[in-house]
Amino acid sequence: MAEIQVIRGTGQLTCLGLGSCIGLCGLDPVSNVAGMIHVMLPEAFQAKGEEKPGKFADTGVPALIEAMVRLGANQSRIAFAMAGGAQVFKFSANNESKLDIGTRNGAAVAAKLRELGFEIVAQDTGGNSGRTVIMTVETGIFTVRTVTSGEKTLCNLRG
Amino acid sequence: MQLEGMNETAHTPTITLADIVAKTSDLPSLPAAALAVMRETDSPTGTAQSIARYLSQDQALTARILRLANSAYYGLSRQIIDVSDAVVVLGMRCIRNLCMVASTYPWMIKPLKGYGLGPREMWTHSFAVAVGAQLVASRSRASSADQAFTAGLLHNLGKVALSIWLEDKLPGMLAIACREGLTFDQVERKVLGFDHCDVGAHMGEGWNLPKPLVEAMQFHHNPNACDPTNSLVDCVHVADYLTMSMGLGLGGDGLRYDFQEEALARLGLTSDHFDELAESFMVAYEQHEKLFEDAA
Repeated sequence: MAEIQVIRGTGQLTCLGLGSCIGLCGLDPVSNVAGMIHVMLPEAFQAKGEEKPGKFADTGVPALIEAMVRLGANQSRIAFAMAGGAQVFKFSANNESKLDIGTRNGAAVAAKLRELGFEIVAQDTGGNSGRTVIMTVETGIFTVRTVTSGEKTLCNLRG
Repeated sequence: MQLEGMNETAHTPTITLADIVAKTSDLPSLPAAALAVMRETDSPTGTAQSIARYLSQDQALTARILRLANSAYYGLSRQIIDVSDAVVVLGMRCIRNLCMVASTYPWMIKPLKGYGLGPREMWTHSFAVAVGAQLVASRSRASSADQAFTAGLLHNLGKVALSIWLEDKLPGMLAIACREGLTFDQVERKVLGFDHCDVGAHMGEGWNLPKPLVEAMQFHHNPNACDPTNSLVDCVHVADYLTMSMGLGLGGDGLRYDFQEEALARLGLTSDHFDELAESFMVAYEQHEKLFEDAA
C-alpha cells in the first residue's frame, strides 16, 4: 500500500481494497505513461511524507506527477481519475469530523490537483462500499469494482 | 435452509440464535488447549510450565506454534524445538497470541460468501483489528494489549457462523439497508432477529470465554450500549474503524456501520491525533502481516 506505481507502454495499474483511501490514477495518452497512488491520509505529518510520499494527498499528488514526468510523461497532457474515499455510515456526533478520513482524502486530492492546475476527468468517491480500481494503459479505461455492484467503467482517460 | 423468501422486505425470523449454533455444520471451534492457555496467561498463578503442559496436549496446535515461533518474523538465532522452549524464549504473552492466531487461522481463511468475503479476507480483517486493538490498548493504557489482540481477532466470530445462512441474501439485505437508511447490523437484526455480534457472543459464551471478550464480540458495533463500559470493547470498536477505513478485508457490508466517537473519548484519545494513529496502525499491520506468510 501507499507505493507510487508508474508504467509506460502497456499494462494495468491496480489499487486493491480501498476503504477511505483514494486510488488516484493519471495517464498521458501520447507518451503512454500512467501512474497510480494509494492515498491513505490527507496530509503528511512529521517526516512521514518524505519516507512514503504516496501515502498522503499533499505529498502524493506532486510525487506521482514527478514520477510520471521522469518516465516521459508531459505534465500538461496528464488526465486524472480517482475512486475511493468511502466512509462509515454515521458518526455518532453527527457533524463534520476530523475522523471522516474518506471525505477528507477525496477533498485533499482534488484540492492538490486543482492547486497544480489539473482537473479530474471522473471520480467515484464516498459511500460505504470498499472499492478496487483498475486502469488499463492501452485503452485508458478506468474501472471500479465493488463486492456488490461488480465492475463498472468510470471513464476513459484517453478522452 | 429455513431462511427463505426475504424479497427485500422485513422478515419474520424463522431461525433462532440457538439454531445457528446447533444447525451450522463446520462451526468454528477453539481448541481446548488454546482456551486453557488463555486462562493460564490471565491467571496470576499461570506459569511457563503450566502453559507448556496444556499446549503439549494438542499436537496440531503445538506444531503450528513451533512453525510460527521459528518463522522469519521472530528472527531467532536458534531453532525452537519444543513448546517449553518456545514459552521461555518468546514469553507467555507472545505464546498466548501465537496460540490464538494458530487456532483461528484455519477457519478464518475460508471464504464467507454470505458477507461477500473471498478466501483469507476474513482473516485479513480480523488480524488487522487484532493488531489495531493491541495498538489502541497500548496507547490508551486502558486495557491489556494481549487481551485486546485476542478480542480483535475474535470480534467477528459470529460472521463465520452466520455466513452460510446469508448466502445469496447479501444483495437483498444491502437493498434494505439503502432503502431504509440502516447499518448492516441493523439489517441483520431486522431480517434475522439478531446480528453477527449476538451470534459471536453466544458462541463465545459457549466456549466459556472471559466476559470482557464476550462483550467485545457483543458490542463491537455499539460500544455505548455496553454497561458498565468495557475498554476492551472500545479498543475493538476503534480498531474496527481503522481497519474498515484502511480497506482491509472489506466484504459486501463494506463500511456500513456506525462509529461512536465516545469510545475514543473513553480511551482518553482524541480525533486530533487520529491521522497519526491511523498511520501507526498501518505500519504495525504491515510489520505483523509477516505472520500471515508463516501461519499456514
